[in-house]
Amino acid sequence: MTLFHFGNCFALAYFPYFITYKCSGLSEYNAFWRCVQAGATYLFVQLCKMLFLATFFPTWEGGAGVYDFVGEFMKATVDLADLLGLHLVMSRNAGKGEYKIMVAAMGWATAELIMSRCLPLWVGARGIEFDWKYIQMSFDSNISLVHYIAMAAVVWMFTRYDLPKSYRLPVTVLLTLCVYKAFLMELFVHVFLLGSWTVLLVKAVVTGAISLCSLFLFVTLVHSN
Amino acid sequence: MFEEASEVFDNMFKSSFPLTFIVFIPAVLILVSPLPAEAAHEFTVYRMQQYDLQGQPYGTRNAILNTEARTVEAEVLSRRCVIMRLADFSYEKYQKALRQSAGAVVIILPKNMSALPQDIVQQFMELEPEMLATETIIPVYFAMEDDELLSIYTQTLTSSTSQGSLSAAEVLLHTATANGFQMVTSGAQSKAVSDWAITSLEGRLAGVGGEDLPTIVVVAHYDSFGVAPWLSYGADSNGSGVSVLLELARLFSKLYTYKRTHAGYNLLFFLSGGGKFNYQGTKRWLEDNLDHTDSSLLQDNVAFVLCLDTLGNGDSLHLHVSKPPKEGTSQYQLLKELEMVVSSQYPEVKFSMVHKKINLADDMLAWEHERFGIRRLPAFTLSHLPSHRLAQRSSIMDVRPHVDVKKLGRNTKIVAEALARVIYNLTEKGAPGDLQIFTEQMQVQEEQLSAVVEWLTAQPRAAQLVDKDSSVVSTLEYHLTRYLKDVKKHYVKADKRDPEFVFYDQLKQTMNAYRVKPAIFDLLLAVCIAAYLGVMYLAIQNFGVLYSVVRKITQPKTKTH
Repeated sequence: MTLFHFGNCFALAYFPYFITYKCSGLSEYNAFWRCVQAGATYLFVQLCKMLFLATFFPTWEGGAGVYDFVGEFMKATVDLADLLGLHLVMSRNAGKGEYKIMVAAMGWATAELIMSRCLPLWVGARGIEFDWKYIQMSFDSNISLVHYIAMAAVVWMFTRYDLPKSYRLPVTVLLTLCVYKAFLMELFVHVFLLGSWTVLLVKAVVTGAISLCSLFLFVTLVHSN
Repeated sequence: MFEEASEVFDNMFKSSFPLTFIVFIPAVLILVSPLPAEAAHEFTVYRMQQYDLQGQPYGTRNAILNTEARTVEAEVLSRRCVIMRLADFSYEKYQKALRQSAGAVVIILPKNMSALPQDIVQQFMELEPEMLATETIIPVYFAMEDDELLSIYTQTLTSSTSQGSLSAAEVLLHTATANGFQMVTSGAQSKAVSDWAITSLEGRLAGVGGEDLPTIVVVAHYDSFGVAPWLSYGADSNGSGVSVLLELARLFSKLYTYKRTHAGYNLLFFLSGGGKFNYQGTKRWLEDNLDHTDSSLLQDNVAFVLCLDTLGNGDSLHLHVSKPPKEGTSQYQLLKELEMVVSSQYPEVKFSMVHKKINLADDMLAWEHERFGIRRLPAFTLSHLPSHRLAQRSSIMDVRPHVDVKKLGRNTKIVAEALARVIYNLTEKGAPGDLQIFTEQMQVQEEQLSAVVEWLTAQPRAAQLVDKDSSVVSTLEYHLTRYLKDVKKHYVKADKRDPEFVFYDQLKQTMNAYRVKPAIFDLLLAVCIAAYLGVMYLAIQNFGVLYSVVRKITQPKTKTH
């Protein structure tokens, strides 16, 4: 399509980040540099993950259409490193819980946006061929922002030493859900053969549910003491 | 935020040069990166003929195509690529597209051309010369139908027909849901091919007994012609003529190896190139033989020149002459022998002589024998077609099923018998009319004929595609050397300053069909996105509301703790 189409996709992908950054008050905390640091951590963690995957996971050479369940599961397990990375970012920032969560999540999600979506958008949405997938990709980046905020919140709750015993289980469940969400989605799509718009919708609903749950937990936890 | 960012960047660039390097180089690379060619569908297209003959341009003059697709039903065709299916193709539609200054025309041919209804084939055959008769500014392409292309055609058809009769809301909805297609060819502009050599092949069988033996020349042109060079397989015209010539060479080489059957005639076989371009190969061959050499078989004592053209079908044979042969000449003898063989052995075949004077004012010569006639050599053409104007001689529809091997074999037999009767002077020796020479071990081999036709129609043999190193030429040469002596190649190159023929390249290209949306769609999308972002902004602004609601819900619990 045209540069205008790229502009559309880019606005759709990027503006929610900008709005979130502005409205959450991070700008007043002078948090830009910290977000950049979080982004750098993201890069470092992804590099480690890639090295790990490349070293220990041979490429799957099964027949076409065959789903390598175990292999994919193991690969999803490597995403646990993301949790470590988020924890690392938050532990290096002093401040209130919300602030730490927002900085880590914003930096993390923005780094992901830049690293894994900007280039395909630039190359694809600007091409002659029109495809809805670039609009979908932009929506997907909005969803992943929410996802990372929820994930950072859950990680923050999990690593608190004053976490009440009764919270331990739900937080762990949420944490597992966060990590394996992509894997479960993939499995779901594979089993039910969904169209790309339905997948996006399901993803939005699932992410919304997880985020709402973590918000409940967070609110309860913060205001309980 | 931006001030902070600029501060950060300032510090970054001041402090460390390598970092600048790392940030800037990819940025520049991304900005200058070419657009990728990731197409919805990619297919091969064959361009219409483009050539100049005697300074006169013919065919399409353009190769570059980058426009949106429409079918001919759409109201506005200007600067659009008009796609048509062969089944719906007509000259009026083609003319309509040209009149409305369409950007290009793409004609979709069905995969199996021999299964087409006969009337469509006939109609298209007659249109081909009309399309080529004048020059066309826009590119005209032919594509082979497949499922993807058909779906592109149907989608274009629905969007083209529904235009104009809709309300504004429907049009808006339509732009969001329907697909347009941008057709793009990847090749460059067509340009003249310089120094193209047309190859012709010659071989002979020498007779015995005396110095100044009469010579019989058998000629067939091997190239094919159609509206698109890459689609012209030329089965009947002139794959059949070539196969007959090769079979005659085989039979007479056998006869000429035995002393008792070695006759007093020289046989000269000539496979000419560029036959569809006013017999350029023959013209040069005659010039070389008559003007530039001292001794040549063609200079001394030529009995007659027999040209073979379109012999693979039909139940009639026509001997086309430009001057009725006089009694007593060997031409007349061959005519009589042909009549005799046909009447006594194949009564179902209608044989006749067709007389047409050479019209020098015409741009194109009618038959190959006229080239010889101009140089005062006694010549005629044998064909099953009654007229040189028939479209079968220059059509892409002339494919393998157009040749009936049985009839081809029968025609070969008739020619061979008649020639043998002339060479051995059998009628004067009192041989009966139904005497068959080519029987048993000497019989015409239909497998051989069908193999040659099969091989010739396996690849397009347009004059623009057969260069001097091509497999067509080398295989023909190999066949000739098996039976004949002194096989020679002759090359024709057009004169540099005043070329008689000019060919152009870019005849086969890859075309991409990109799915596109109209510009209004972008605007519509922008409005939708702006609305979505506005909602997002409000939602994030009022996140506190959600937060307090959640808090209210959880509050009673915390109190009971």
